[in-house]
Amino acid sequence: MESVFGLVGKDFAIVAADTSAVHSILVHKTNEDKIMLLDSHKLMGASGETGDRAQFTEYIQKNVALYQFRNGIPLTTAAAANYTRGELATALRKNPYQVNIILAGYDKEIGPSIYYIDYIASCHKLDKAAFGYGSYFALAMMDRHYRRDMTIEEAIELVDKCIIEIRSRLVVAPPNFIIKIVDKDGAREYAWRQSIKDSPVPAA
Amino acid sequence: MSRRYDSRTTIFSPEGRLYQVEYAMEAIGNAGSAIGILAKDGVVLVGEKKVTSKLLQTSASTEKMYKVDDHVACAVAGIMSDANILINTARVQAQRYTYAYQEPMPVEQLVQSLCDTKQGYTQYGGLRPFGVSFLFAGWDKNYGFQLYMSDPSGNYSGWKAAAIGANNQAAQSMLKQDYKDEITREEAVQLALKVLSKTMDSTSLTSEKLELAEVFLTNGKVKYQVCSPEILSKLLLKSGVTQPAAEAS
Amino acid sequence: MMKIDLSGLEASAPIKGNTVDSRDEILGVPSFALPTTADFDGFQKAAVQMVKPAKGTTTLAFIFKDGVMVAADSRASMGGYISSQSVKKIIEINPYMLGTMAGGAADCQFWHRNLGIKCRLHELANKRRISVAGASKMLANILYSYRGMGLSVGTMIAGWDEKGPGLYYVDSEGGRLKGTRFSVGSGSPYAYGVLDSGYRFDMSVEEAAELARRSIYHATFRDGASGGVASVYHVGPNGWKKLSGDDVGELHYHYYPVEPTTVEQEMTEVAVA
Repeated sequence: MESVFGLVGKDFAIVAADTSAVHSILVHKTNEDKIMLLDSHKLMGASGETGDRAQFTEYIQKNVALYQFRNGIPLTTAAAANYTRGELATALRKNPYQVNIILAGYDKEIGPSIYYIDYIASCHKLDKAAFGYGSYFALAMMDRHYRRDMTIEEAIELVDKCIIEIRSRLVVAPPNFIIKIVDKDGAREYAWRQSIKDSPVPAA
Repeated sequence: MSRRYDSRTTIFSPEGRLYQVEYAMEAIGNAGSAIGILAKDGVVLVGEKKVTSKLLQTSASTEKMYKVDDHVACAVAGIMSDANILINTARVQAQRYTYAYQEPMPVEQLVQSLCDTKQGYTQYGGLRPFGVSFLFAGWDKNYGFQLYMSDPSGNYSGWKAAAIGANNQAAQSMLKQDYKDEITREEAVQLALKVLSKTMDSTSLTSEKLELAEVFLTNGKVKYQVCSPEILSKLLLKSGVTQPAAEAS
Repeated sequence: MMKIDLSGLEASAPIKGNTVDSRDEILGVPSFALPTTADFDGFQKAAVQMVKPAKGTTTLAFIFKDGVMVAADSRASMGGYISSQSVKKIIEINPYMLGTMAGGAADCQFWHRNLGIKCRLHELANKRRISVAGASKMLANILYSYRGMGLSVGTMIAGWDEKGPGLYYVDSEGGRLKGTRFSVGSGSPYAYGVLDSGYRFDMSVEEAAELARRSIYHATFRDGASGGVASVYHVGPNGWKKLSGDDVGELHYHYYPVEPTTVEQEMTEVAVA
């Protein structure tokens, strides 16, 4: 089942997510990237209904880009988080989006930050956040091992600990994960953690 | 000839002009002037109040300076009733932005949104353009202190020092002459008063005819401060633009 | 003085829909009987599902070295009733693109035909064929705009564009997945089993077609809602081509011929007395 989590380190933020596309008992795909690059310094990890997730994150991404085109300055992570929250809140009483979001960003003056936004439009600035069934394990692992001044290496080690715990304790654990990072140099893919390859599948 | 083209805002004249917009600008040329100067540590706005009658009860608050948001203020020249509408929309825009993003609206965006409104009235039929020019003074985290000037056509631009209203051309050229980069707020006040004293029709400047407002930072927070008449009188004396005794020049 | 008629609020008042009011005919007021149920929304939903054929289905598609292989069964069922054994579940959007049909037959047919129109218009406007990515996104966006309104579509868009073979899974929940191997429908778990174990990227067209056919056959064998004919299409650089359409019953005897059983006891004819 879905697992999206993230944490803020010394001068960076990390978001990790499973990469499974699931329909009832079927796994359609195990290399679906659920972490979107919002702009050069923002990451949006999302969980929830497949359609809503894809549509909503893309909608936010395009609007953040539009803001940048119109005003020549990028939105801060805090502004993007509050904007996203606002969009979820206005949709909530009409046709709600079933999406939970972990928004990570890096701002020059502020540094790295993570915002936790759920589908009922609550928004919190946190050091560590998690959504989905994997969150129970990831949260406990992060509560125990997290420090605010972690280096990238230490943080990746913690993310790997979370992934291993999810894989070993969650009944319906997803096989593959993707890890993305954002720091002063921008938002980028950091690594995949794959226990099965999607395709092409080697000869049976 | 021109009657055919100057009665509607939506129509260009054969020479490519929008008469109604030009007339609106003309209207501002007769209004009480205002000067804005961008200093390194703040922005200064000075305005000329037209005192029409001794009997008129001047309002306790300012009549040419308006706070739009915590970090933006503006000075007005033109038809006040038009200005009130625009200031209201500007305030609404600023609040909407904070509602959406939980942070203050960048100054230029605020100016632009207001100018979009103004522009609309130069194009859609059956409407008269706003007879107002503005000076916007503000601070934001992206570009620091800023000063903008806008006119009825919806044009706006950023300035180091700008003048609107009566005699604005004379004021503008004096500002051009005397403005220097790295000017302090205090010097900017002096300069603004000096320029206004020369461009205003009245013989001597008094605090009843003037308004002074400043935007600056105090411990990291933006502050908008309107100068009281008492302090303004002292400032006028200090800068030597008014003589203690009435004296025609 | 006016009097307000409150009779309708009384508990004993007859429910309009359930009693045939003979006055209606006289007065000419149009009316229809409502079902006797407390949960009308639930009833309506169930009723709509009942009349939506082609619910149970097996469709599959996969990319391999020579393009995309697409296959499907041909059964349409309404609950336990088989309403058709000859449904075309592979919809030809244009000569280079196919769509598969799972879920509501009408929804699938209508929106694929609609997509075909949009793809052709795109072609006319841009002087080039639409990409599979573009076409599938168009469909996904349309379906998403109708989300929660009862559409039931589970489809794969397979085709060949400037970038080569393309395959996307699109459903009425708004989901859209890019992939190399998909199966959709009630028979898909069975099909996946055969497909996953037999898949190689470097298969020949013949091998791929046989894998697709065999996957559909095995799905129809186990899934009661799938059956009829196993159709196989191939999309290559020059567009799609239908390779085969085999009755799964015949396929069964082809794959598993009846072996002559040893006769344990022979009956002899009793001589006529």
